[in-house]
Amino acid sequence: MAQQLSSINLVAPAFKGVNTEDSPIAQDPSFAEVADNAVIDKRGRIASRKGYDVITTTKTELGSDSIRAIREFRDSSGNTEIFSVGNNKILSGTTTLVDETPASYSITADNWKMVNFNDKIYFFQRGYEPLVYDNTGGSVVKLSTVTGAAGVTSAMYGNEVLSAYGRLWTADFSSDKSTIYWSDLLIGHDWSGGTSGSIDISKVWPDGYDEIVALAAHNGLLVIFGQHSIVVYQGAEAPATMSLSDTVAGVGCVDRDTVQHTGTDVLFLSHTGLRSFGRTIQQKSMPLQTLSKTITKDLIALIQNESSFYRSVYSPEENFYLLTFVGQSTTYCFDLRGALEDGSLRVTRWPSSVFTSYERLQSGELYIGSDQGISEYKDYQDNGESFRFKYYSPSLTFGDASKLKFIKKIKPTIVGASGEVASIKFAYDFDETYRSVAFNVPSSGAGAEFNVAQFNIDEYSGTTQQVVRKALNATGSGSTVVVGLEADIDGNALSLQEINILALVGKTV
Amino acid sequence: MDEDGIIDPNQTDYNIGTFNPMDAVMSEEAIANLGTSIAGEEGNPLSGLLSGIGSFLSGGGAQGLAGIGLLLNAYNRLGGIGEEGLRLGQDLATTQMEQAAFRPYTVTTATGGQFGTQIDPTTGQLSTTMAMSPQEQAFQQQMFGGAGQFFDQAAMPTGDREAAIFERMRATMSPEEQRQRLALEERLAAQGRLGVRTAQFGGAPEQFALAQAQEEARNRAMLSAMQQARQEQAQQAALGQQYLGASYLPQQQMLAAFAPGQTAAAQQQQAQLYGTGLFGEATASGIDALLASGLGQANLMGEAGTGLLSGLFGARSSTATNPFFSALADLAS
Repeated sequence: MAQQLSSINLVAPAFKGVNTEDSPIAQDPSFAEVADNAVIDKRGRIASRKGYDVITTTKTELGSDSIRAIREFRDSSGNTEIFSVGNNKILSGTTTLVDETPASYSITADNWKMVNFNDKIYFFQRGYEPLVYDNTGGSVVKLSTVTGAAGVTSAMYGNEVLSAYGRLWTADFSSDKSTIYWSDLLIGHDWSGGTSGSIDISKVWPDGYDEIVALAAHNGLLVIFGQHSIVVYQGAEAPATMSLSDTVAGVGCVDRDTVQHTGTDVLFLSHTGLRSFGRTIQQKSMPLQTLSKTITKDLIALIQNESSFYRSVYSPEENFYLLTFVGQSTTYCFDLRGALEDGSLRVTRWPSSVFTSYERLQSGELYIGSDQGISEYKDYQDNGESFRFKYYSPSLTFGDASKLKFIKKIKPTIVGASGEVASIKFAYDFDETYRSVAFNVPSSGAGAEFNVAQFNIDEYSGTTQQVVRKALNATGSGSTVVVGLEADIDGNALSLQEINILALVGKTV
Repeated sequence: MDEDGIIDPNQTDYNIGTFNPMDAVMSEEAIANLGTSIAGEEGNPLSGLLSGIGSFLSGGGAQGLAGIGLLLNAYNRLGGIGEEGLRLGQDLATTQMEQAAFRPYTVTTATGGQFGTQIDPTTGQLSTTMAMSPQEQAFQQQMFGGAGQFFDQAAMPTGDREAAIFERMRATMSPEEQRQRLALEERLAAQGRLGVRTAQFGGAPEQFALAQAQEEARNRAMLSAMQQARQEQAQQAALGQQYLGASYLPQQQMLAAFAPGQTAAAQQQQAQLYGTGLFGEATASGIDALLASGLGQANLMGEAGTGLLSGLFGARSSTATNPFFSALADLAS
C-alpha cells in the first residue's frame, strides 16, 4: 500500500528574513538561511530587490573612481542640485559629472559628508577646510571666503557634521576627538561669534575615554556617538545650556555613515550589530534595541573585516535601511515595516554589491553611487544586467527530525517575473550540494490568468504581475531538507509567495 | 626827695635854698672898691662912669644900689624857682614813670603750668613766657606725636590702603566664591557641561553668571575699599585734628587760668596807676605850693627893691642930672 504524501506548506517563506543565528533545525520556517538580492515586499513576501539604473553618461571627472557620497542640495526657493564626491573632487550633476572643486583647493580623500543648512550645502571632511555652496554664488567655495565667516580654523575641520536645531555641529577632528563645535544660529559660516560655541566631553565619557564618531539629532536631543559609548544631551536647541541626559557605555558607533534617521528612531551600526534608540518620551529613557539579532555574527565578521568604508541609507518609500560594507561588496537590507517578536528587523542580503554611496532625494527616489557614476534604484536590472535572486530555507524537519523524508514534489508559487529561468534547489541533511530543478517562468501574459481582457475589459488594470505555480519533481531523501529558489532577475520583480512540498515520510533513522 | 631825686611823698620840706635879703645889698666898701677898681684903669672909657658911680654912691646912691640888689636878687630868685619847679616836675615825672611802670607777674595754674611776663632789663622789652608742667608737656608731646602720625597717614596715598582693604575683603569673600565655583563645577560636571565654551559667555552661561557676579562683587569690594580708604583717610585727618587740638588743650587751659590772674594784675596795675596819679597830684600840689612861696618871696624882695629904687630915683630926678645915669647914657651911646 502506497504511503500518503505529506504536504508541507511554506507560506510566505522567509518573510522574517535571514536568520543565521539560530540552529537551522530549530528554526522557524519563516526565516531564511539565505535571502540574497531580496527584500521583503509590501505583502510581506520575500522578493527580488530592484536594480540600479546608471544615469551618468559622462563621468570623465570621476575616472575609474567611485562615487563616495551623494547629496541633494535644495534651498527654500526650490533650487536643487546633486552633489557628489569622488576621485578627490567635488562633483555636481547626474548625467554629466562636473568638477566643482574650488580652485587652489587640493583634495586627497573623499570621505566627505554633506549637509543642507539654511539654503546652503556644506561639505565637511577631517583636516579639510569646509566648503559651501549656495544657489546665489553658484559655485562651491571655501567656507572662510564667505562674507562674514568667522572662526573657520583648522580646529573645526571636522569629519562629522550635523545640521540640527538651527545650527551646524561638527566633531571628530584630526587630533581632538572629544570636542563638538556648533555654529552661530542659522549662520553656518560663523564659528566664533554670536551663540556659537563648543563642548568638550572628554570628562563625560562613561568609560573614561572615547572618541566621537558621529552626531545625531533626535527628539530634542543631541546624540553623540563614540566608538564604544554614547552620550546624549538634552536641550540642544540652546546648546549653551544643554545638559547631559543619558550615557550608554559599551555601545558605540562604528562609522559616521551608518547613522540614519527614520523619523521615529535613529539607526546606527555598533560593533555588535545594527541598533536603534527607541523613542520613549514618557519614560525619558533611552532603551537600546538590537535590530540585527538574526545576523549578529555575520555583521561582526563584516565589521571586523571591513577595510574600506560604510554607507547606509534610509528609504521610507522602500521601507528599508541599507547598510553597505563597501570593502566587502556586501549590503544588508533591513526592512522597517515591522519588527520581529524580539525586536529584530527582517533582513536580507545583497551580495556582490557595487554600491558605494546612497542618497534619498526629496522626491523619494533613491540614488546610488558606484564606479559607474550615479544610478537610480529602480527597475529590476543592474544597469541592464540581470542579477541573481536567492532564497534558501532553513533546514526543514517536517516536525520530526528523526524520520527520513522523501521529497516528491516541490510546488513554488511565484508572483511576478516574466521569462526568467528559475531553479528550485534542495538538499538533504545539511549537504551544501544542492540538487536543482530549473524551470522557465512564462513571459508576462502568456500563461497568466490575470490581466487578460475579457470582453475588452481589463479585469486587473495596471498590473502585469503574474502568478506562476509550478509542480517540480524532486528526488532523494534525508532527515532534514533545505529548499531554495534561485532566479536571475532580469527586468521583472519576483516574489516568492509560497512553496508547497510534498514528501513521503519514511522510517526513523 | 630821696637820693635818686625821686620825690618822697612823705617828705614835707624841700630845700629850695635859703634867702637872706641883706645878701642882696652891696657894702659900701665893695661899691667903693668897685669904683676904684674901675677908675683905676687909666684910659678906660668906663673910668668916667665909675667915677660917676662913685660919686653917685657917695651921694646916697647906696640906697639905690641896695634896691637894685634886691631886685636883682628877686629876679634871680624867680629864675631859680622856675628851674627848681622844672627840676621838681621832672623828678616827679621820673618818679611817676617808675611808679607806673609794668610790674612783671606770674600766674601758676593748678596743674603746674606757669604764665609769666618779664621785662628785659637791658632793652626794656616786655616778654611773655608760658611753661607747662612736665605732665602737661608729656601729654602735649604725645598728642603732637599722635597728630603727626595721623596727619602723616592722612597725607599718604590711599592706594596701598585700598589694596590692603581689598585683599582683606577678598580674603573674606574668597572661600564662599570658591564654594560657589566648586558647586557650579559639580553641577556642570553632573550635567556634562564642564567643557562648554561659548562665544556669547565664554564658558557656560552659569559660569558666566557666576563669574560676572563674582566680578561685580570684586568690583564692589574694590569700590568699597576705595571708599573705606578715603573714609579712613578723612578719619585719620580728623583724628589728627583732634589730637592736634588736644595737644593745645594744656595751653588753652593755662591761658584760661591766666585770664583771672591777668585781671588781678590789671587791677593791680590800675591801682598802681591810680596811686601814681594821686602821688603825682599830691606832689604837684606841693611843688606848686613851694613854687608859690618862692614866688611870693621873690615878689616881696622885688617890691622891696622897687621901693628902695623908687625912693632913690624919685628924689634926684627933679634937681640935677645924675652922673650915674649919664654914665649909663654914655655907655649906652
